[in-house]
Amino acid sequence: MLTFKLALKNLLGAGLRTWLNVAVLSFAFVLIIFYNGMIDGWNEQARRDTIEWDVGQGQLWHTDYDPYDPFTLQEAHGMAPAEAGLMPVLIVQATIYPEGRMMPVRLKGIPARQQTLALPTEALVPAGDETRIILGKRMAKSAGLAEGDRVLLRWRDQHGTFDAREVVIAQVFDTNVPNVDAGQVWIDLAVLQEMTGMPGEATMLVADQTYAGSAPEGWAFQTQDQLLTEIDTVIQSKKVGGSITYLMLLLIALLAIFDTQVLSIFRRQREIGTYIALGMTRREVIALFTVEGGANSLLAMAVGAVYGIPLMAWLAQAGIPMPAATDNVGLAVAEKIFPVYGLGLVLGTVALVTVAATIVSYMPARKIAYLRPTDALKGKIL
Amino acid sequence: MNTDPIISLSHLTKHFPVGKGQFTALRDINLTFGTGEFAGLVGPSGSGKTTLLNIIGSLDVPSEGEALVMGRSVSSLTHKESAQLRNQHIGFIFQVFNLLPVYTVYENVEFALLLQRMDAAARKKAVLDALEWVGLTDKINSKPPQLSGGESQRVAIARAIVKRPAIVLADEPTANLDAKNSHHILQTMQRINKELKTTFIFSTHDEKVMQYLERMINLADGQVVRDELVQPVKS
Repeated sequence: MLTFKLALKNLLGAGLRTWLNVAVLSFAFVLIIFYNGMIDGWNEQARRDTIEWDVGQGQLWHTDYDPYDPFTLQEAHGMAPAEAGLMPVLIVQATIYPEGRMMPVRLKGIPARQQTLALPTEALVPAGDETRIILGKRMAKSAGLAEGDRVLLRWRDQHGTFDAREVVIAQVFDTNVPNVDAGQVWIDLAVLQEMTGMPGEATMLVADQTYAGSAPEGWAFQTQDQLLTEIDTVIQSKKVGGSITYLMLLLIALLAIFDTQVLSIFRRQREIGTYIALGMTRREVIALFTVEGGANSLLAMAVGAVYGIPLMAWLAQAGIPMPAATDNVGLAVAEKIFPVYGLGLVLGTVALVTVAATIVSYMPARKIAYLRPTDALKGKIL
Repeated sequence: MNTDPIISLSHLTKHFPVGKGQFTALRDINLTFGTGEFAGLVGPSGSGKTTLLNIIGSLDVPSEGEALVMGRSVSSLTHKESAQLRNQHIGFIFQVFNLLPVYTVYENVEFALLLQRMDAAARKKAVLDALEWVGLTDKINSKPPQLSGGESQRVAIARAIVKRPAIVLADEPTANLDAKNSHHILQTMQRINKELKTTFIFSTHDEKVMQYLERMINLADGQVVRDELVQPVKS
């Protein structure tokens, strides 16, 4: 406690030099917490939206179904198991011809009155003779289609025979989840089953909360975590990429502390000698200088809290607008991301910065162990 | 003066490595100091005064011979033990004051007591007593850069005596002071010596200091050439 008090006093007594170090270190603190908070907020939002719009509580896939291989779609279907809590989805390859252009799409049949996913499938409820489809706004934009437009849809039935008909865009929905938007066309399941001659069949089934978890033969259950692995991987890589930036900043701050410590041990030799003459052991003097350097991080925490807490609280409330280009990163990105600052994140950052600052403070302070008190009192260079 | 030896130096020699050879700073020193002495190591620069003072203060160890301080052999002390010896029994006064620049006068004087883990009330009393001894109670909140040379040295004296050490080692304490301040400082130390029975050992070649000494030990080339009791001119 005495060492800590003395260290803090010396540190505050050093004036501007201390506050410069503290400013840089506090900026590193705030940036690390802010950046990780933003990534965590993004992760949370991406997972939540993906669950609501795409993966549900897990999915039962036909064993031939491979979402990364469109050629499997022709065979990847079977009679949908009549299990409670499962919503069938039939997927086939198709092509639309907006404004005379040809666009391959994934045509997905989903029950119009489903409530498992957030997709606005009510719009698919058949009305009259027209065949209704819904699209995400990205898909609509890339195809140049809008609500009420008609477009030619071509598909192959279960025997491989091509067929086509004009469909009407019943709704263009807005979602953050690219998996249900880009290259996807949604149609009523019963209509698609009729169009393809696959009554009662599905490619996959989306589970809701009531699903018991049994997987009949020919079907494999994909847990929610398995289905979200991709998001986790992307988020992880974003985290690693971002950490390079803040580690650079942290490095600069630590370099400043290291530099100050080296300079201190040169400039304050007479003081070191005085401490020893007054009855401190070399180990106590080393501890004093180490704590002094490490205490930079405590001051940085206090300073960082002064401007960081209001700033981060405001950002968590108001959200951070994401540029449109982030739509193309391959996972759900909302228009605004709301950072999430967990206790673990804050404590982890505090521990990281404090330990790092203490280590870089200790390294030059070790030299004191080799300093002769008589030389130190004369201020002789080490 | 009480002649109980609190410092005993026998056949003490100190070498320093210089290049491939060595320089002998002290050669076969045999001295004893008792409680309440007011003694000076006198001699020109390079005669070994500071080296001897450093060994007595357990800041350095002899190359040969033995230095017993408060009954402890300096050579056999661990770092921790020598730190304890300094903290409890030895006060230092330096030529350039060596005050801690970011601490106030009060905190500079208090420092040694903090190391002794003395309780706050006793510490405060001791610090104010020491500052009263040197006449600096009006400067307790000043910091060293705000003090004159004489005031700084008085703070250093207060810091040396605050823990009531048996020995105060003063290395050229008046070298950076004018005549008036030098006499003031020396009178203060003389008064402390008389009233607290603290042993003062000076290293000096300043005539002003010599006027106050009761024992003068002349050193030349690392050897004691004369050790005599003298009648202080000033008292």
